[in-house]
Amino acid sequence: MNRYVDTLGTIVRLELQQRIRSTAWVVLVSVVFVLVGVVTALLWASLAAFGTAARDSAGVYSTIIFFVLLVGTLVTPAISGAAINGDREAGTLATTQVTLASASQIVLGKFLAAWTVALTFLVASLPALLFTLIAGGVRGDTLAASLGVLVLELGVVAAVGVGLSGLISRPLFSVVTTYLVVAALSIGTLIAFTLGGLAVQTQTTQTTIGIDYSVGGEFDPNTGLPEEIVCLEPMSYTYTTPRFDRVWGILAANPYIVLADAAPTTFDRNGYPQDLFGQIALGVRTAQLPVESESVIDECAAAKAGDPMLGYGFETPEQVFERTVPSWFVGLVIHLVLAAAALAGAIARTRTPAGSLPTGSRIA
Amino acid sequence: MNSAAALVPAIEVEGVARSFGDVHAVRDASFTVQPGSVTALIGPNGSGKTTLLLMLATLLRPDAGTIRIAGHDPVADPRAVRQAMGWMPDVLGSWGSVSVRRTLEITGRLYELGTEAARSRAQQLIELVGLDALADQPTRVLSRGQKQRLSLARALVHEPRVLLLDEPASGLDPAARVDLRVLVRRLAGEGVAVLVSSHVLAELDEMADAAVYLDRGATASAERVEQSRAQVRDWRVRALDPAALMTALTQLGVTAGATDHLGTLVPVAGEQEAAALLARLVGAGVGIVDFGPAVGDLEHTFLDLARGSDAPAGAADPAPASTEGSER
Repeated sequence: MNRYVDTLGTIVRLELQQRIRSTAWVVLVSVVFVLVGVVTALLWASLAAFGTAARDSAGVYSTIIFFVLLVGTLVTPAISGAAINGDREAGTLATTQVTLASASQIVLGKFLAAWTVALTFLVASLPALLFTLIAGGVRGDTLAASLGVLVLELGVVAAVGVGLSGLISRPLFSVVTTYLVVAALSIGTLIAFTLGGLAVQTQTTQTTIGIDYSVGGEFDPNTGLPEEIVCLEPMSYTYTTPRFDRVWGILAANPYIVLADAAPTTFDRNGYPQDLFGQIALGVRTAQLPVESESVIDECAAAKAGDPMLGYGFETPEQVFERTVPSWFVGLVIHLVLAAAALAGAIARTRTPAGSLPTGSRIA
Repeated sequence: MNSAAALVPAIEVEGVARSFGDVHAVRDASFTVQPGSVTALIGPNGSGKTTLLLMLATLLRPDAGTIRIAGHDPVADPRAVRQAMGWMPDVLGSWGSVSVRRTLEITGRLYELGTEAARSRAQQLIELVGLDALADQPTRVLSRGQKQRLSLARALVHEPRVLLLDEPASGLDPAARVDLRVLVRRLAGEGVAVLVSSHVLAELDEMADAAVYLDRGATASAERVEQSRAQVRDWRVRALDPAALMTALTQLGVTAGATDHLGTLVPVAGEQEAAALLARLVGAGVGIVDFGPAVGDLEHTFLDLARGSDAPAGAADPAPASTEGSER
């Protein structure tokens, strides 16, 4: 076991030395560092303009985390997507395969190296993250959950890239495929969710019982209601509603939503989420709300009880969160299974002596 | 080299075949290589030499047949084979941004040497292949010949008992070729079994104890090789006075072939007859200054086998000039 880890470590160090072209890499990480700094400063300034409290640094923090996820998922495929087939083209894979390093050590070593490189982007944005932490308002559990999921998601992209580079023989093609996988998860799920929800529509009938403002005497200046409340005849109308509640599960596979949903949401006094995690999570939670085929808005009865607005059955985001289910762990498990399958496939394909070869490729 | 090791062939190949789809790269290869010997693997381009070496190097699974490297089966126990075998590929891949020294250290670590052992082995090998001046340069700055030497050093990191060299001499300058030859002979002297594939047949002539001829995926049988060797072949004769030589040859009833600045080609069947011819020429008073086979043993057999199998491919590959060059 110790020997296994030893060789694995050698492969990781070799990969890091070989792939991180020092100058290019320093430039790229510096660019990310500056970009995150600029984004943080702008966000901070815009929040100050709204006169919000320092605890809104939670909003800045969550935005930076999403930004790092965006940058990480954009760059990691380029790092990892040619790890194995690139070596095969350069003639350096076979010379590693004839050593005592096994296929699993080679593939996992490349994966760990790609993951490490992806995490340097997180390191580059640490100063900005630290700033928001010092400013206060970021809860410990939110910090742990969001960082944990971010680190795992970057690992998933690294694993998919390395895996595909072992399964596909052409480096260019495997890099592009990795980008397509990332795009399918990040954007494709949104498109599928929207189109799916719109495609499955159902008839809903809504009945409204209003208040007859033309009778009932003087209006109460405090409530704006007539002294005597007289109900109108119930009015019904029927329309079709998209059934997002049937397809919301698609969103569970979206890495941004996994991240948002995993971070514990904090609410302000009015029951609204305080950071970007909560706002995005609210989207997927709201989509879960079932569509009722018959609904009644009894404004009149509500008015008699004191407040006509109660008839609309309005819920605050906090209430929506309370009666819906979190889905991030489903999405995370899907991603981890995808990553593990890609790596397992690459290990099987890299194992020597090789039975079949990737078409058109020389083994050496 | 102890006697027990000598009993077990270092490389044993029996009826090995491997195809890629419709292409039968290796159809039927059988041969053995003894410890402490250098065996040349000879064949035209596309005859399956590299595919065969890849199978020996545990990278490719044979479709049929059996292989034993140092007594181990590369398919059943690749790890044991890898511990005993060093492979120098024909493709010169190197980790471009890693230094020569680090490359050898990393390779040593991948062969599970300790950090210290890997470091000192790297230093030994750098001196052995003469890359001292470039030891701390990234490998991307190396020339083809220097990469070739690095590749050889990499194959030797774990002191293998079986060495597979795929075209080791290509890209090497004449001095480096001599170094390679000396090194290979020295390793063989230490008991290492070496299998060398090369197109520079004259080079192999001086290095190899035995030869395996591979043609369109099949090894030539010993009888066919013997037959080719015994065939009438050209010897090159050069005399102080070419005219006197021609006269003497005519008197002896020998039909001389072409004459060039290197001498006259004379067809001779076997070494017995060659010795007799030389004696008679000297007896006739011709001042002979050069008398030898026009082409090396391996090349002659190679060309004859290639001709016999009416395969046009690669028959003219080794330039005759290189034969001359290496004899000096």
